[in-house]
Amino acid sequence: MGSNNLAGTSVNSTREMTRARAIKRFKWITISPIVVIFLVVLMPALILQLYFSFFGWTVYLGSWWDAEFVGFEIFEEVLTDERLGWAVIRSLYFSFGSTVGCFLVGFGLALLMYRPFKGNAFYYIMFIIPMLTVPIVVAYTGEMLLYQNGPINGILSSLLGHDIKVSWLADADIALTTVMIMEIWNWTPFSFIIMIAGLASLPKEPQEAAQILGAGKFRVFFEIQLPLLRPVILLALILRFLEAMAEYPKIWSLFQGGPGSVTETIPVLIYLTTWNYFEISKGAAQSYVVMILMILIVLGAIWVLRREKTNLDQMYK
Amino acid sequence: MRLNKRNKKYIFEGFRYSTLTIWLVIVGFPLFWIVGTSFKPDAEWFAWPPVYWSETPTLSNYANVWMGKEELTVTQYAQSMQKPWKALGNSTLVALVSTSLSVFFGAILAYGVSRYQVLTEARMFQLLMLRMVPPIVIVAPLSLHYSTLGLLDTHLGLILVYFLTTLPYAVWMTKSFIDEIPMEIEQAAEILGASKWRTIWEVVLPLARSGLVATFLFILILTWSEYLLALLLSKTEVVTLPVELSKYEGSTEGRVYGRQAALAVGITIPLIIIGIFIRKHLARGFSFGMVRR
Repeated sequence: MGSNNLAGTSVNSTREMTRARAIKRFKWITISPIVVIFLVVLMPALILQLYFSFFGWTVYLGSWWDAEFVGFEIFEEVLTDERLGWAVIRSLYFSFGSTVGCFLVGFGLALLMYRPFKGNAFYYIMFIIPMLTVPIVVAYTGEMLLYQNGPINGILSSLLGHDIKVSWLADADIALTTVMIMEIWNWTPFSFIIMIAGLASLPKEPQEAAQILGAGKFRVFFEIQLPLLRPVILLALILRFLEAMAEYPKIWSLFQGGPGSVTETIPVLIYLTTWNYFEISKGAAQSYVVMILMILIVLGAIWVLRREKTNLDQMYK
Repeated sequence: MRLNKRNKKYIFEGFRYSTLTIWLVIVGFPLFWIVGTSFKPDAEWFAWPPVYWSETPTLSNYANVWMGKEELTVTQYAQSMQKPWKALGNSTLVALVSTSLSVFFGAILAYGVSRYQVLTEARMFQLLMLRMVPPIVIVAPLSLHYSTLGLLDTHLGLILVYFLTTLPYAVWMTKSFIDEIPMEIEQAAEILGASKWRTIWEVVLPLARSGLVATFLFILILTWSEYLLALLLSKTEVVTLPVELSKYEGSTEGRVYGRQAALAVGITIPLIIIGIFIRKHLARGFSFGMVRR
């Protein structure tokens, strides 16, 4: 018996060892192509970016590899530049505004639609179409609708009985809000889809229990549905916010930062610095500052999402 | 007077349908407008008051954009760089190849994560960085790096960056589908003597098929409509459709709305068809494991 047992464990342990080796090999096969492409494509670019931030170079100055080392000079210039500060503020304003807008509309629609009703499928299909529209097409459609002789002013004119000529795209006070509205139109379906899935997946029992105990609709909503939805809500807000920080096609194709500089968000500023003023080093330093800022934001977002996911994993174990 | 239950229900239904219809108009009107504009003759593009429904619809915008028939119109528009068919070919090639790569590698990585934890949860979240840090911060040195490698203005160059930037979504989305496949099925296949790769290829991936298709089409939408990288990593050869559309301006007339609309409709229709096709899977793909059933 004893010798049998011994033989059994040794077979088991060799089996475990081959299994561990197989997993290790699997890990290499699946991860290495990705790592290789990352190292070949992105890593050199990141290093070049760092090089340019410390070596002053513009395209007028000979070969880029002969640039002069200037230490933290460019970073100092960039960090004290009010223009970058304003670009960050505009990007945050644009992203917060469009995220909240998308979320409120999307959640509202989801609340009205998550229980089956007549015409459900038709409304659902229509409501996801904006997300399927190419962003640059959204931009041009927005321009066709909103230019001074466009149909939005036309409808407002006929409703109010006199000619309305709001210059949605050229008025410095409203240009950024105009593009924010386009962004909300474009991406509300994203929040809508996530929220409708979240609402449909909520367990019925706690809600029914609360109703039996005499809680009204509003209390059930605020005290049961909303807390249960928290992970989904955070996900919808965070993903949308991060994608909005990178928004470029609409703002660039319609405004290029103008009128004046009121739509000059982070991506537009970096583009202008690099490709219009050819200040490669300044653009690189701006990029690094923004990258660090974004990494901090993403790390915060990841921390929040992980906490929610761990809670959920424990709940559903 | 207290409302009885029946009346309350009617009021709610009325509220529901009127709210939904308002949003339907907000969603539908821009779509109606761009489709309508694509059929309008030149004179109606900028008319005041605006022309809502053209009395003299024309196909000349489509003929001009997609078939290069200039003689159908009164005025001449610059056509030097306008090659929508070439752009369509570029977009199709780049989007299909990068999406296939992304979903393939994403799916086997997701399988490894789901079954063997080849990436820890922390690494899975860090993977999101590839997508969530805006591409503008890297694109300038990337184009320089690409020009030394000879990848600038090539299909491969665009395919590689698209592969990297869509990979996080591919892994997260496919993982949520693979997680749902019971392990017992794979174990059965292995007991019957199938190798690991054969199990993945012939058992796991077919079972996750609908999820893989949804992921594929979702990422196809992202790469098809990508603008910034496509603009800055191409010059003349791999111009994609969104970049082509942004170049579509008359040399002297400024914007040519009808032509832009005709091109925009052509670009968007495939995506809308795809999206409607996968609508049932979108929710689960987006939910990053946060929606439990």
